[in-house]
Parts: sequence; C-alpha cells; structure tokens
Amino acid sequence: MKRRILLIPAALVAVFLDCFVFPQFTENGVRPLFVPAVALAAVASTKVQDGIPVAFFGGLLTDLFCNPYIGLSAAAYLLAVSVLYGFVRKNRPKLPLLFLFALVAFLAAETLIFVFTLIAGARFPIGTRLLRATLPSLILESLAVLPLAALFRTKEKGALTRR
Amino acid sequence: MRKLWKNRPMWITMTAIVLLIVLAAFTANGKGTGDSLFRTALAPVGEALHSVQQAVGAFFTRVFSPSELEAENARLRETLLVQQEKLALLDETEKENARLSELLNFVEANPQMRFVTASVIGRDSNPYIDTVMLNAGSRSGVTEKMAVITAEGVVGRVTEVGPNWCRVRTMLNDEMRISVMVQRTRDEGMLGGLYEKDGELLGAMLYYLPGEADVRVGDVIRTSGIGGSFPKGLYVGTVVAVNDEGKGTYDAIVSMDVDFLHLENALIVTGVDEAVR
Repeated sequence: MKRRILLIPAALVAVFLDCFVFPQFTENGVRPLFVPAVALAAVASTKVQDGIPVAFFGGLLTDLFCNPYIGLSAAAYLLAVSVLYGFVRKNRPKLPLLFLFALVAFLAAETLIFVFTLIAGARFPIGTRLLRATLPSLILESLAVLPLAALFRTKEKGALTRR
Repeated sequence: MRKLWKNRPMWITMTAIVLLIVLAAFTANGKGTGDSLFRTALAPVGEALHSVQQAVGAFFTRVFSPSELEAENARLRETLLVQQEKLALLDETEKENARLSELLNFVEANPQMRFVTASVIGRDSNPYIDTVMLNAGSRSGVTEKMAVITAEGVVGRVTEVGPNWCRVRTMLNDEMRISVMVQRTRDEGMLGGLYEKDGELLGAMLYYLPGEADVRVGDVIRTSGIGGSFPKGLYVGTVVAVNDEGKGTYDAIVSMDVDFLHLENALIVTGVDEAVR
C-alpha cells in the first residue's frame, strides 16, 4: 500500500517534468515523457488498476497545462497502459522483457498521437522527427520505466508475481 | 467472445480512450468552451509552476557547472552554493532587466504600434507542434491572429486565446506562413517551412519571389504587411543561402535571430496606428 501511495506524488512530479522542465532542456526535440513511464511502471509492478488513473489524470493534466488537444495525451497513455497490460497481465516480466514491452506500448501511444496530429492538420518533417526525436524519446521513456517499476513494486494480494 | 465481454476494465479503458480522442478532436480547433474554462483556471497554476521550473533550472545550472565541482570541501561548497545562488538571482534579474530594456527600446522605437508584454508560461510537450503559451489573453486585448514579436524579430502568431492566456504558433512550426519582403530590393515573397541540412536547422524557406528578384546572402528580410496579421517592416531575419538551382522549390533560406527554445518574454502587437503606419 505504502509503495502505491508513491504513485500520486510521482505522477504529479512527472506532469511537472513533462510540461515545465524537459521542454526547456530538450535536445533536437528529444523529450522523454515521465507521466506514461510512471503509469506503465505502475502496471508492471502493482496492478493495472493503478496505472489507469495515473495515465488518465496525468495525461489530462499534461494536456491542460501544455498541449493544444485536451484528452489526446490521456488517450495515448491509456492505450500504452492497455498494451502493456496485455503483455504482463499474468506475470511480472524480467527487466529486459519489460523494457521491450514498454517500448511497444509507447510506440502504440506515439502512433496514436502521431496519426491524430497529422489528421488535425499539423505538418512536420516526418522522417527527421521520427528518427531524431521520437525514437530516442521512446527508448529513454522505456528505460525510465525500469527503475520506476522497481520503486513501486509491491507484494500485495492481487499484485503481479515474477515470471 | 463472452470472455472478452467479461473483461470490464478493458472495455472501460477502451471507451475512455475513444471518448478522450473525441474530446481532443473537439478541442483541436481551440473553440471548446470547457477547454477555455479549464485552461483559464489553470493558467495561474501554470505560471507558478513555470516560476518553480526556472528556479530549479537555475539551481541545477549552478550545481552542475564545472567550477563548482572543483570546490575544496563540503562546507566551502555549501557556502559557495549560497553565494552563487545569490549571484544567480542577481544574474537572472540582470538578464531579465536586459531583456525587458530591449523590449522597451523596441516599443519606444515603434510608437505607431500598440503592444502587450507577455511572459512564456508553457511549452508543448508534443514534439509535433511548436507552440508556446503566454500569460496575456483577451482581458489584455489579445485576439487570434495577432503578431507576436521580440526585439530579435518575429516569433509567431496567436492561434488561441483565453481570458488570461494565449497560445502562439511559432515560426518553427511548419504550418506558419508569413508574407515578407527583401528590404534592399522590396521584392515580396512568402516565408515558412523549415530547411534542415545534415540535421542542422539552417532557417526558414523563402518562396514566391518574382523571377527577376536579385536576392543575395546577407539581405535583410522584413514583414511586408500583406495579410494583415503582421505589421509592415518587422524584422524577420537575414538571407543565409540562395537557391541557385532554379525555381520550383524555394528561393532562399532565411536565418532567424529569435532564440525560440529559450524565449521568455515577448510582445503581442495589439494594434497599429494607421496614420503613422
């Protein structure tokens, strides 16, 4: 229970980092997002029910503070949570596997944002953005999930067990 | 199939995702009333958090600078940190003074224009959209399509307005197009879309110059006033490359002086005195 309480401050700090810190220090558009990282870490180490509110409220706060489309990040983060849950719903994966699962989940979320922004009319150099900014960001985000998952790990009833 | 229907959390999540996408589509044009209300309520919080971020940023810049790593011991380091923190605050104040003085000089040099000064309170976390949020809105007379500038040149255009905030699409956004002219030859063209070479951003592309236009490297580019958003004569940038390979793509590359990544203050042009203009 104690560890799960950590999720609330972690999610708030993640919103602060995503909206106010990383956009300032971004290099070539590489911006790892911590809200989905916290949400995925929660799914991977506690229960999926813990990741959903983090993704939903964290995503909405992020959108309200710093994105033009309210709900898009929340939807993308929820999608990432769902994808990861599909991978880890029975057993807690080992770290290298968790990294790969998180990467796939983030790819799904990024694809949703990418397609939505394209449909909404945004124009940008697709190849450059994907290779130079998006992929490094996704890898950093997936790496961030690993220590966070270790931090939130709990042995409560109903929590995932190691495979 | 029945098993799938029984997975209630999954269906709730999927429904939430669909509803959120609908909400995002609804707010995409910036016209949603709820959207505006939420953002208006959160604008002061955002401003406060932005101040915290600046303080934290200044602190870390000091802590991780090489000179501090060379400090001889913990006590001295602590003392040094306190002193440097004070210096950082002074430095910050000095820089802010310089920035605001620069803006003031610009305002005084352009008496025909009416401005609202604003600070940046948010930047996009979505890497596909280059916009910033400023802490001035309709209460200060800001409306959509107004020009946003600094003493270094044109920043962008207001695309969304709340009572105490507005969103600005910067020149880094590929959708931005502004009508400009070459100061030396008075040839008019269109500026917009970024030009990158070997991963390095060289500037924005200049299109639609007349066939006989004699644009050269070093030419100053200013707004032409056509289109109405941007008053005539605002500095945009300088030509850094000319396309010699014939027409069809772009005519020249224009380098902009505005530091979009570290933008902190800007002027919103709320009006121009036609008599002076």
